[in-house]
Amino acid sequence: MTSLVDRGPRRRPWKLPFRPRTILIHVVAWTVGLAWLLPFIGVAVVSVRPLSETALGWWNPSPFHLTFDNFISAWNNPGCPLSLGLRDSFFVALPATIIPMLVGAFAGYGFARFRTRTRDYIFLSVVLFMAVPQMMVAVPVYNLMIALGLISNLLSLILVHSAWGIPWIILFMRNFFRTLPEEIEEAARVDGASDFKIFYKIVLPMALPAMAAVVVFQFMWVWNDFFFAQVLVQKSDWFLSTQCVPRLSGQLAHPYDLLSAGAILTMIVPVALYLVLQRFYIRGLIGWTIKG
Amino acid sequence: MSSGGADYVPSKTSGRLIAIIVALLIVTNVITAVGVYYAAAPKAAVVPVQVIGPWAGDAIKNPSSEWGKFKPVLDKFTNDTGIPYVYTPTRQEDLSPTLPIAFQAGQSPADLIFMPSATIKQWAAKNWVTDLTGTIGPSSYQAGALDPLTASGHIWGGAYTGKVKPGFWYNTTFFQANSWSAPTTWQGFFSLLGSIKNSTGNPPLMAGDGVGWPLSDVVEHFIETYGGASMHKALANRSLSWTDPSVKSIFQNYLVPTLTNGFWTAPTTWDNPGVTLWWDGTNPLYFMGSWITGMVPNPSALGVFPLPGGVANQGIVFAADYFFVPKFGAHQDLAKRLAQYLASEPAQELQVKQGGHVATAANVPTTAYPTVDRNVANLLSGKTVLSDLDDTIGNPFQGVFWSQLQSLWANPGTWQTVLTNIQTAAANQP
Amino acid sequence: MRSQATFVAFILPATIFLIVLVIYPVVATLTLGFVGADGQFTGLDNFATVIGSKQTVNADCLQTGPPCGTLINNLIWIGLHLPLTMFMGLFLAMLLQRVRGAAIVKSMIFLGMVTPLIVIGTVLKFILEAPIGLVPAFFGSIGIKGLAVNWLTSNPSTLLFGLIMGTVWSWTGFSMIVYSAGLTTIPKDYFEAARVDGASEWQVFRKITWPLLKPVTLVIVTMTVLWELKLFDIVIGATNQQGGLGGAADVLALQMYRFFYVQDYNHAAVVATLLTIFTFVVSISLFRELLNLPRHKRRLLRARAKPAEVGTDSPQATIAPTGDSP
Repeated sequence: MTSLVDRGPRRRPWKLPFRPRTILIHVVAWTVGLAWLLPFIGVAVVSVRPLSETALGWWNPSPFHLTFDNFISAWNNPGCPLSLGLRDSFFVALPATIIPMLVGAFAGYGFARFRTRTRDYIFLSVVLFMAVPQMMVAVPVYNLMIALGLISNLLSLILVHSAWGIPWIILFMRNFFRTLPEEIEEAARVDGASDFKIFYKIVLPMALPAMAAVVVFQFMWVWNDFFFAQVLVQKSDWFLSTQCVPRLSGQLAHPYDLLSAGAILTMIVPVALYLVLQRFYIRGLIGWTIKG
Repeated sequence: MSSGGADYVPSKTSGRLIAIIVALLIVTNVITAVGVYYAAAPKAAVVPVQVIGPWAGDAIKNPSSEWGKFKPVLDKFTNDTGIPYVYTPTRQEDLSPTLPIAFQAGQSPADLIFMPSATIKQWAAKNWVTDLTGTIGPSSYQAGALDPLTASGHIWGGAYTGKVKPGFWYNTTFFQANSWSAPTTWQGFFSLLGSIKNSTGNPPLMAGDGVGWPLSDVVEHFIETYGGASMHKALANRSLSWTDPSVKSIFQNYLVPTLTNGFWTAPTTWDNPGVTLWWDGTNPLYFMGSWITGMVPNPSALGVFPLPGGVANQGIVFAADYFFVPKFGAHQDLAKRLAQYLASEPAQELQVKQGGHVATAANVPTTAYPTVDRNVANLLSGKTVLSDLDDTIGNPFQGVFWSQLQSLWANPGTWQTVLTNIQTAAANQP
Repeated sequence: MRSQATFVAFILPATIFLIVLVIYPVVATLTLGFVGADGQFTGLDNFATVIGSKQTVNADCLQTGPPCGTLINNLIWIGLHLPLTMFMGLFLAMLLQRVRGAAIVKSMIFLGMVTPLIVIGTVLKFILEAPIGLVPAFFGSIGIKGLAVNWLTSNPSTLLFGLIMGTVWSWTGFSMIVYSAGLTTIPKDYFEAARVDGASEWQVFRKITWPLLKPVTLVIVTMTVLWELKLFDIVIGATNQQGGLGGAADVLALQMYRFFYVQDYNHAAVVATLLTIFTFVVSISLFRELLNLPRHKRRLLRARAKPAEVGTDSPQATIAPTGDSP
């Protein structure tokens, strides 16, 4: 099965295509979907029209002029240029995805294959790790980064996000590795391969789909983060794109045309990633044991 | 683990694996590092002075925007001295959390930063602010202009231009069309509000920005008019309680009735629709500072009146913009030169010429002001000039004050609770 | 894997990361809460100050309505948001089972889950504000004047309620997707058998769907409650550092941030610790449930259908990916 969300109605045994009820269900479902999308549509419309046309409601149809000025202004905004914000978000999100993925896969494999009766404890501690709110580490991490001279340095964010992603990646990869048949690894071991060789020659290639899910999730989480960035990055040259969004406002004016453009530029990356890698994302969300 | 340890012999292949992982780590980080370095490398041979101020806008497309009016001043500095500048507009709302975080880490995002006076003094006490005594002094200023920045004989920042908050602005064309005129008594004001409401069906008074400061300006105006300059000063230096009967009576007899009669709109979060609705007569009265002269299509049609029928010794708030030089800026020498310049008559004259601002420097000629601002200056006559109340007290009081006033506007019936809460915040302010 | 040394080598890098950047900071924050600014041990004084302050718990709100304080607001959020998103998600998941193009509709609803929360906050500001916002305009057009107002500034209750509804809007996608997946694991012959027996749809739901979805529900409840507790970006994006209008939408995480940036680290630590206690209570109860639950569920699921091991491992994996994203 390719995608969990992709199940057509034809499999439902009680489905009768032309009943009025079916039509009603379709109308309701699509209306709800469109209603859900409406706020984003509004933001999109405001972002491509001049402020004067949308000041009393973006739904007013006329006059209607298409303009990309708002995107250009947000891109070059002197307070927080999205051009730099997006660049910095990539600088943080790429390494902060790769590092914990490798480190977490490594540890996850250790937990999956090492014969231990402590599985429940590991699970418990990882769950607890994941439950810790960022606020619980903010002050000491901030002081630590001062000591290391890494405030307003993107490296601090990379390190923190890496550490923060590791627990769930361990759990996720462990669960995945448990679904792999051990026989192949055993055979390789009999042939004299070391554990590390088995890991990277045999296990890692099989784990690529799981890694894809990790990449999507971790990248999105790091990209969408706002709290850690607010704590660790204070210089306008290094603001991330999420930090730029509120900063597009002025002291006396709230240019919501500019804010809309900034919002779209910031959300476009995770949304695009989701649309492209939806399959892995959903799988990651559901877990590996429900398989099609 | 006695025998187990012997099982693990690092082999060539595990070495290769580790090498691959390490290489990946290095590659990703080198990419970042190179990018970071490349982006951080100074682009100009001459080091610029970095400035953070509250004025935003598109200076090129819209020269009458806030930043459009400040840019010529900085451009002149570069012309005169050859020192380039980098200007970053940031709301004080965004700066008040991020600056302490940066300063505590021994960093500063800029060399010269605009902040309210109370905040500058608070930060001076934490040893984050460069002493500007000797760099700038009271002699180049109007009397008392530097007082809010002076603590134990040291001057911790400079005053730039400021704005007065004279009263309610209106579109004279619209008023004439309805044969309304500026009221001269409180009763007259109140019945004007009633007749506007009857005629338009909408609340006559536009309440500005949801962050809160426009509401605080309105409240200060009621206090300085019906309680006098002395009451405003006493509240600002916290020698008078907000729950004192004299303060309560102003709320009870003047402000709260305007709220309970539905004369105010809900505070707008976005100003642009607010200004549009005010100017087109939907909500035809707007209490704002003098900067509003730059926000309307036709400034000559602007009219303004203060609250009428106040006590004998009234005050008027003059809110200057203050700047300081943080200790951790990279170029304190440049910042000090810029500070001197901003404190000087030529810089401030250039700013006030663009409208909406009033100078704090001495000797700025009256002819430098646009007509509409000269009219504003007339409103000053006979009144005591006061500093902005919540800017003087500073945070965390300011945040509570604003947010309590929002509660008041939302729910005027709770005005006694609001005053109690404001007083608690004032009493707790260090 | 046979040797402990190999095991240690595998988990070492992760352990170092976690010790330096998670365990040590958590312990340091814990201790900060029990000392004064000068480092002297003060017992529970800081906790008493924080919990006793009106900002945290405002008893007046029983009479006058919001603001209720950060702690109460977080609880209100859970009380309203949790059932709403959960049942909305379940309803949509069941509805979309029978819809053509369900994948597209699901993506439309799920968009809110992949959007940065600070952007969600900005969007909420944008739709709740009069006159530009959709929500007041909608109520105006259907003639409900009382709600055709600026939701952010005209009333503390509309602010709080508006933001809660906003989070329902953005997070329903999660429960919908997870429930959808849960539904696909219920074997179809269950429904067919029930139908043959003449069961009504409601009975099918009560007796088959809902009980079999229990493990999935547990995961959804836990994750949603964790997000509701950690709420930060949305509130600051839609209002300001004070939680808007009189602090009506103020939450614990925001309160912690305010203490943090004025360098009141001890009180910041107290708020963070309170927050952590809540999240631990929630996740430990999930953990216990998950360990206990599978015994009977697992047998049932295994006996009837192979791929339906929802109750065993999947919830663990499900928790993982979205652990901190919002």
